[in-house]
Amino acid sequence: MSDFDLTTIYFILSESMGGWLWGFVVLAVLLLAAIVAGIMTLQKNGTPARRSLVAALGAGLVTTIIFTFLVPIWTLAGAGALAAPIDVLFAALFALVPDGVVGSAVFIIMAFASNRRVAAIA
Amino acid sequence: MERRQFLVGAAALASVGLGVEAAQAQTSDSRARVVIAGAGAAGLALASRLRRAMPNATITVIDAKKEHHFQPGFTLVGAGVWSPAQVTERNVDYMPRGVEWIEAAVAEFDPDANSVVTATGQRFEYDFLMVATGLKLNYEAIEGMDVSLIGRDGIASIYAGPEQANASAAAIDRFIETGGVGLLGRPAGEMKCAGAPLKITFITDDKARRRGRRGAVELVYNAHNPAVFSVTPVNDKVTEMFADRDIAVNYSHILKAIEPGAKQATYATDIGDVTLDYDFIHVVPPMRAPDAVLASPLPWQDGALAADGWIEADKATLRHPRYPNVFAVGDIAGVPRGKTAASVKWQVPVVVDNIVAETAGRTPQAVYNGYTSCPMVTGIGKAMLIEFDYDGNLIPSFPFIDPLKELWVSWLIEEKGLLGAYRAMLRGRA
Repeated sequence: MSDFDLTTIYFILSESMGGWLWGFVVLAVLLLAAIVAGIMTLQKNGTPARRSLVAALGAGLVTTIIFTFLVPIWTLAGAGALAAPIDVLFAALFALVPDGVVGSAVFIIMAFASNRRVAAIA
Repeated sequence: MERRQFLVGAAALASVGLGVEAAQAQTSDSRARVVIAGAGAAGLALASRLRRAMPNATITVIDAKKEHHFQPGFTLVGAGVWSPAQVTERNVDYMPRGVEWIEAAVAEFDPDANSVVTATGQRFEYDFLMVATGLKLNYEAIEGMDVSLIGRDGIASIYAGPEQANASAAAIDRFIETGGVGLLGRPAGEMKCAGAPLKITFITDDKARRRGRRGAVELVYNAHNPAVFSVTPVNDKVTEMFADRDIAVNYSHILKAIEPGAKQATYATDIGDVTLDYDFIHVVPPMRAPDAVLASPLPWQDGALAADGWIEADKATLRHPRYPNVFAVGDIAGVPRGKTAASVKWQVPVVVDNIVAETAGRTPQAVYNGYTSCPMVTGIGKAMLIEFDYDGNLIPSFPFIDPLKELWVSWLIEEKGLLGAYRAMLRGRA
């Protein structure tokens, strides 16, 4: 495993995913920027981030659970292909990708909705 | 999974993320002329690495072949889960810049004169020769067999190419539908991807079970010697799995002839020739060196690897003992085991490091331990990630994956991971 350094992993991912790799990177950066903007908005309005965070984590968790059992289908295997705990662990790791997208989206929506409410009250 | 195993796995994963190459790759300013015979997995990977490590060298790749096949994927095409297009690429897309590609076959090796001659009559002189021609599938050695028969009359063979692997998938499906006796097996002698005959056996069994037709098909695996696999723990595991899945095994059965019309196969055995009826047969051809290698002084002159023309090579360095400026890499190398893309991945850096060291005036020290890998697909969605060395020791790359356990994560590596790793290898980046 010592052979798998960061450079090697980058090239393997790049050769596996092609242009999709950069699509994911751009999506991740956009989501990150939106999350930061959401946090800053919440802080500006003095609104606690707890509600948005809990909703995001909840949505992310549900997404992870659902996608953990969908990941094997993506590999052309059946939904019941997860035969051992290590299989479930890796499927869950892959499911963290949609988890991240859904969780981030929920957080952003909640944060900006909260901002709109504060603005409406003011 | 035990807690300890989980922790080891987590630590290993962390090390992947944190591991950064400690040293820059060594380079050489040598202006050596390097000729690479063959543009397959080994040839392209060599060209890519040498181009970066020896920027002033003249590197010439000689191969007439324009298509490049991801051969580890042939099993998945044969299983009917991949299309031929998924394993077919173009050599030109992987040929590194600054390397001259001569689109002709090598017709003659003349190591005494340090030169090779192409089929078009061009002679190329070299300071170093990398022989990476691959091997020849010798279907003609089986009486009555011809590549054109694949996909017809119950005959399958995933080795011949993507289209033949696809035709084999259809043949397997028809066999499962109609039922009967299916014969599988492997040839005597060295062969590429020795796990593939077992994989296609498991896949046929699995597909029949999924369709509720297992009771209608009888599967018989004809092993060429008293074992189904050369690595003892793997042999024991596969033998046990075959027994559990009602797959019969005939030992010391070597396919020598088929009669497609009569659907009969004749095997050489310890007690003489034995003829078996079949409704389906998966033919794995004997394999040997290409004609140009066979006709040259490069092959072993005696011993077990001489008859099929495998190139004489030191198993630790892949250097030719009689022609020290000649190296054999990939399928053509006359070393134990090692005819897989995974072997190439580990052989190429050793050869390149040693040439770079030698031309830079340092002592070559890189050593190849015989690493090879066989992601043993045991059904659609499960596999065993088997890796071993020259001595038959299991040497798993991932401590959290049990090599003798059927796992989805091993299938994940086969189905989603290997192609990207293979392409990165062709570019000299993995």
